[in-house]
This record gives sequence, C-alpha cells and structure tokens, in this order.
Amino acid sequence: MAGSRTRRVLFQPAAYAAMQRGMRQIVEAVRPTLGPRPRTVAIAAQVNRRPPEILDDGGLIARRIIQLADPDEDMGEMYLRQLLWSLHENVGDGTATAAVLYQSIYDLGVQYIVSGGEPMQLRRHLERGLRIILDQLQSMVCRVEGKESLARLAETVCADPPLARMLGEIFDVIGEYGQLEIREGRRRQIEREYVEGMYWKSGLLSRQMVTDPRRLRAELEEAAILISDLEIKEPQDLVTLLEGAAQGGVRSLMLVARSVSDGGLGMLHAARESAKITCVPVKTPGLASDEQAEAMEDLGVLTGGRPLVKAAGETLQGFKLANLGRARRAWADSTYMGVVGGKGEARRLRGHIADLKAAFAAAEEPAARKRLQERLGKLMGGSAILSVGAVSDVALKTRKNLAERTAEALRGAVRDGILPGGGVALLACRPALRRQLAEADGVDERAAYRILLKAVEVPIRSLLANSGLDAGRVMAEIELAGPAYGCDLRTGQIVNMAEMGISDPAGVTMAVVRGAVASAALALTVDVLVHCKVAKKALTP
Amino acid sequence: MEASLDQDLVYGLAASPAFVRDGVIFAARTSGLYRSDDRGSQWRGLYSSLKMESPLTTLVVAVSPAFESDRTVFAGVQGGVLCSTDGGETWRASLLPKPPPLVTSLAVSPDFSDDGTVLAGTMEDGVFRSSDRGGRWAAWNFGLLDMNILSLAISPGFARDETLFAGTVSGIFRSTNGGRAWREVSFPSEAAPVSCLVLSPAFANDGLAFAGTEAQGLFRSTDRGVTWELVTHEGPTGEAKSLMMVQDQAVGLGLLVLRSDDLVLSRDGGGSWSRCDADLPAEEGMTCLAAPMGADVGSPLLIGLEEGGVARVEARWRPVE
Repeated sequence: MAGSRTRRVLFQPAAYAAMQRGMRQIVEAVRPTLGPRPRTVAIAAQVNRRPPEILDDGGLIARRIIQLADPDEDMGEMYLRQLLWSLHENVGDGTATAAVLYQSIYDLGVQYIVSGGEPMQLRRHLERGLRIILDQLQSMVCRVEGKESLARLAETVCADPPLARMLGEIFDVIGEYGQLEIREGRRRQIEREYVEGMYWKSGLLSRQMVTDPRRLRAELEEAAILISDLEIKEPQDLVTLLEGAAQGGVRSLMLVARSVSDGGLGMLHAARESAKITCVPVKTPGLASDEQAEAMEDLGVLTGGRPLVKAAGETLQGFKLANLGRARRAWADSTYMGVVGGKGEARRLRGHIADLKAAFAAAEEPAARKRLQERLGKLMGGSAILSVGAVSDVALKTRKNLAERTAEALRGAVRDGILPGGGVALLACRPALRRQLAEADGVDERAAYRILLKAVEVPIRSLLANSGLDAGRVMAEIELAGPAYGCDLRTGQIVNMAEMGISDPAGVTMAVVRGAVASAALALTVDVLVHCKVAKKALTP
Repeated sequence: MEASLDQDLVYGLAASPAFVRDGVIFAARTSGLYRSDDRGSQWRGLYSSLKMESPLTTLVVAVSPAFESDRTVFAGVQGGVLCSTDGGETWRASLLPKPPPLVTSLAVSPDFSDDGTVLAGTMEDGVFRSSDRGGRWAAWNFGLLDMNILSLAISPGFARDETLFAGTVSGIFRSTNGGRAWREVSFPSEAAPVSCLVLSPAFANDGLAFAGTEAQGLFRSTDRGVTWELVTHEGPTGEAKSLMMVQDQAVGLGLLVLRSDDLVLSRDGGGSWSRCDADLPAEEGMTCLAAPMGADVGSPLLIGLEEGGVARVEARWRPVE
C-alpha cells in the first residue's frame, strides 16, 4: 500500500520556505565560482585522512553535496542539483550562472505566488518569456574563428592563460568534432601533440609482432586490413586468409579480431619468419559489442574494407581479397591501434560523416552524443593529445578537470557560436522583455516579465560582486555606455565586449537560460512535498 | 611557335617573377626538370648534379616570389620535394614519410622571404607543410577527407589571412589557418576531380577564386571560396588543364583557361570570353600554361605539351560570339 511508505507530507507555506532554504545552500556553494576570478570550494574527503578536494566547478560542487540534513530542504537542493549536474554533463560550463538565475526566478516567483499569483499561469508566461530571451540571444550569436579568439574565449571559462592559449590553438585545428584526449602529464607544463590519422584504444594481441622494438610498436606500410570481431581459435582458420592475401600481393596485413589463440599467433609469427607476409594481430576496438560494431563500421568506411561480423555467422573461411581495407600506414602498440591515409572512397566517407552529424544533432542523451562526437572526431582526419601538468597531484586533478570543462565549452562555441560575455548578452534581452511587458494583458503575464527583467541582471551583478566591484555603480556605468558594453572584470574597465573579445559560448548561455527558467518555472508549481520512508538512492549522477 | 624539348610530357611550368628581366622559366617533365634562360627558346636539364641513374620524373615546379634574390626553386617528385637555392644548379632532397607519395602540387607563400613557408600536395598522403624553406616537412591534414591532392592555391594575402585551398579527387577543401586544419567547402562533389585552382591577385578584397575540373568545366567563387558556382555563360566546358590569373597594366585582371584544344581569356571574372587567335599546338595536346608577362596582345604565352616540348605563342584574342 502506498500510504504505508509515506513518512511526512509538507504543505504551503512551509514547502516553499523549505525549498528556498535548500536551494539557497547549493546556490551559495557554487556562487563563488562565477566569473574570471573564481574562488574555490573545499569538499571534505569521503575517505578519512585524505586532503579535501579543492573545486571551482559548480557542477562538481553540486554533485558532491549528496544530502542535506533537513529532508525538506534536501528536496529543494536535489532539484537544483539535478539541473546543475545535467548542465555540467551536457555543456561543461555555466552551472554557477544557472544557479543564480534559477534562485532569482524562484524567489521572485514565490513572492508573487504568496501574494495571490496563479502558479500555472505564471509558469506559462515565464516559458513564453524564455522563448523571447532565446530568440534575442540567437539574434546576437557570432561565429568564433582563429586561435586568438578561441584562446580569449577559453580564458573566460578557465581563467588559466597558458591552458587557454593551448586549447585555443587545439580547437583552431581540430574544430567542433575533433578528437581531443586530455591526459595527466608528468611535467609541470602543459604540452600538446597532434596525431596524424585516426586511432582507437585497442592494442596488439601479441608483442612478438612488434616491428619497432624501441617504441614497442608495429608499423605497416601500404597495409591491408582485415576488419572483424571474430574469435580465431584454430590456426587452420588463418590459412585461407594468409594464402589468399599473399596470392593477392599483400605483404603487410593488419588482422583486427576479438582474439587469436596462441596457436594462431604462432602461425602468424611463422608466416612473418618465412617472409611471406607480415601480419599484425590487433584487438577489435571497443569493449561492448555495439562499440565494436561502430568501430568496425568506421574502420570499414575509412579503409574501404568490409568487416567480417561474428554475429552474422561470418568466418575467415569466407574471406575474399575484396574484403580487405587498405591504408597508407597502419600501426599498433600495446594500447592503441591507428590508421593513416585510409583508402576508403572519399565520397562514402563524407556520406558517413554526414549521417553521424545528423545522428549527433538528433541525439539527446549525453552519452550517445559523446560517443557520436568521438566517432566523428576519429573520422575527421587527426587527433590532439593535451597533457596537463601541475605542481601537485591535487592541483593536477583540478587542472585536468578544468581543461576538460573548458574544452567542452570551446567545442560548443565552435559549433554554436558565441555571445557577448560577462552577462551582457542577457542584459541585452531587456528591451525585448520590456516591450512584452508593455503589451502584456494579465497580471500573471506582467509578473512573469518583471521577474525575468530582474533575473537577467542577476548574473552580471553576481560577477561584479565576485570580482570585488561595486555592482550598483558599475551597472550604472554600463547603462550609460550603452548596449554591447560591459565590464572587463580583470581590469574593472567598461569596454565594448565584442571588440575586447570577451564572450561566452552561445550554446552554454542558451542551455543555462533554458534550464534555469524552465526548471524554476516548474518548481514554482510545486505545492506539496511528500517524503517516503525509504529514500531511494540517486542513480544519476 | 617554337618547340625545343624532346618528346616527353611537360607537367608544369614556372616562370621567374622577374621574367621580363631574366627570362628564366622552368619546365617539369617526365624526364626531369629543365630550365630556360632565354624565355623558353633553349632548355637544359637541371638534375645532373644528382647523378641519377634513371630519369627523375618531376610533376610540379614552383619558384620563390623572391627568386631574383634567393634563387630558390622547388620540384615535386615521387617521395619528396627537391629544393635548390641556386636556381636549379644543385639540389637538396627532403623525403616525405614512407611509403613514398607522389608530389602533385606545390604552393609557395607570397611572403616566403619572411615565413619560409611552402606546401606540397600529394596523391594519397594529403598536404605537407614546411616552415623552414623546404628543409623539414610535416603532414597537415586535419579535416582533409580526401588525401588525393591535385592542386593547391595560396592566398596572395597569406601572411594576414592564412588562407589556402586544396583541390582533390572529390572536392575542394579550404584552410583559414595556414593549413593546420581543413574544411570542405560547398562544391558539387560530382563535378570533381578539381585539377587546378587559382585565386585573384586581389583575393583579400574581391574574394574571387576559380576551380578547373577534369570534366565539368570551370567553377567560380566570389565569397572567398565558401560557395562555388558553375561558370556557364559561354565559359569553357569540359576539362580545364590549367588556370592563371594575370594583372596587366593596360587591361587589368585577366583569367586564362587552358583546355586540351584551346585557350580562352576573360577580363570580367568569367562573364565574357575571348579565344586565343594564335596558332595553338592543339594537336600535340596542351598540358600547362605560363603567362609570365600577362595576357596583353603580343605578350608571350608558353604552353607545355603532352607530346613533349614547350610551345611559345604571342597573345592575340578574338571575342567568343
């Protein structure tokens, strides 16, 4: 019986007050991280005798706040936490802005509702106002090009000039879909490396096949590639392949397979010793079968090969020379395998990329989008590796996390464009909201636009306060300077934001506004809080 | 008309920027690289210092914009790029990564004296770039979805805009960061292969570019190579062998299009055309063109031939009806 599980029911006005208290705690925890001069938050380690975690990432800070002591407040906190974490996952930045925006709308909304406003009507008009703000933002979007512009944008996200310069250069090269791997470096500096061709995490099946002992790497020129997810157990299974390939003039063969038995590896070794053919066995990329299927499909398109798929009942007995993919060079070491100069048909490759881009645009699940983006990155013709260095392990982890977050924001900026930064884009939405306010009919509609007019000022006011500036005075100066002007928070000067290259990724700003306004509007309709006896454990995040 | 080379295909011609004064022009041929010091009358082989046992087929040749002072010449061969800093008397070979790719096109930076940048397009291995005057080469292929490069074009304002184009077997790619990354432009892939590309000398201002295809005629872009359209109005159809843009004192900008059987000129960016009225060696198969003194009437035009030799004709133009 459902009733037996219910522990407590909380009605108004206590419900609003509890939600506000819980929400305020998480907002105040992430607020210091807003802006180019962020302060950090120390999170106690969950394991005894470990140092606290130092964070300046609103999304991670929110994630670390597992549960508040007061279960009523906890509901308000958890609701906002989910918004912040999903923003962190989807766009990588903007969580602190979302938090202050959400709080402003919710607090002002509650004030209006307790004075007699109608929550559902208010929600409807807030959502209509949201569309107006998004349209205004869309009209301001500019493209971002060139490593200098990208570096300036990166600096607004990470406030780490060396990291920003490096990421600016990298994204100028790899573009919106390019493959970027961020590693923890061994030195203090930041280093980057560009890798020609495409590579997958999947290594050699036998170290005996190494052709470059110094680098523990096998390299093949004018390589033929058999793409499969077969488990090759019997050495005899390889006879058809090796003989067929050798007769077809193949001298260098990369065999991609799920596994090759010891006997099979011995046969490949013998074939190489006899100088008939050099065959390098490599594990099929991917862990799960669907990942393997995707990797085989991509490899097939890149190299012009046709994969042999175990699930389709295919075996090496059915091997044909035409099944082989071709590449100018192929390589593998203990961890990775790569292809340079795949000889697949260029038009088919374009079509495949276009299909993946369409799937990416349609995908909503962050994990699916990430996987599609990684596949696209591999197919676009090169990869970058960023090795992040720092003075200590704690600083290294923080900086790596910062690099990942900034990279995600830059990727979004290259894809969706940029907006004037420092809260100026949101401020520029006020004339449109004022026009709507002037034309509004009902009291709920007018209230919604008034709430939004105040809310769009909150991010810039928070930025100014975080930078130690007098928000009231600077806001007056910005109003006097006119639209497009804002405050360069590093110098305190009033400047034209576009001319100074102070910008925010448009996709981040839009996702922040969309998430904060829609979530706050929905939260305002919550009238009763119901607690269950056994709290369910959150699965995500 | 004069033809003074033996019977082997001429793939490319490159004249000294100071041709009016020095009369130097190079010819890349099946049998190697040749040089003329008298405006194309007499030719001599340039690979004797390499002591090759067999002819070294040279597909492309390019000279430094400051050739008169630096004497730098590049030659693209199978597996690498040869560089000479004495006008072709001696050579330094820079090998590209194995397996050896075929170098099909070269583009030298207009500011080569300062930036030392030169790019090489290859069949199968994409684009290589050197920033040390041809010493070391590295592959620059991010975003290049077709590694079969047939032609390269470099912006006259490369020092500022870092713009490059690569014509491939399946389309056109553009880089706006000096070749670090490439993006495909809006070009109909069914019209490819793109055998030749040329940019307006005033590209920074007019954004004008032309692409010649192997079978589908001439395409034009007026927006810095972002979009391309077929030049239809009485324009050259079929295969475009070679494209050149010339800036004449008398009549301004001119676009020359060489096809296997004729040579046409447009003075208005492809709107109207004139046909070369000289006695062209069409029956010998025309392969490439050099117009080192422009296209004014009476200027010498040098034309490489399939059956060997370089023909020299005087420019005369008759409007296409």
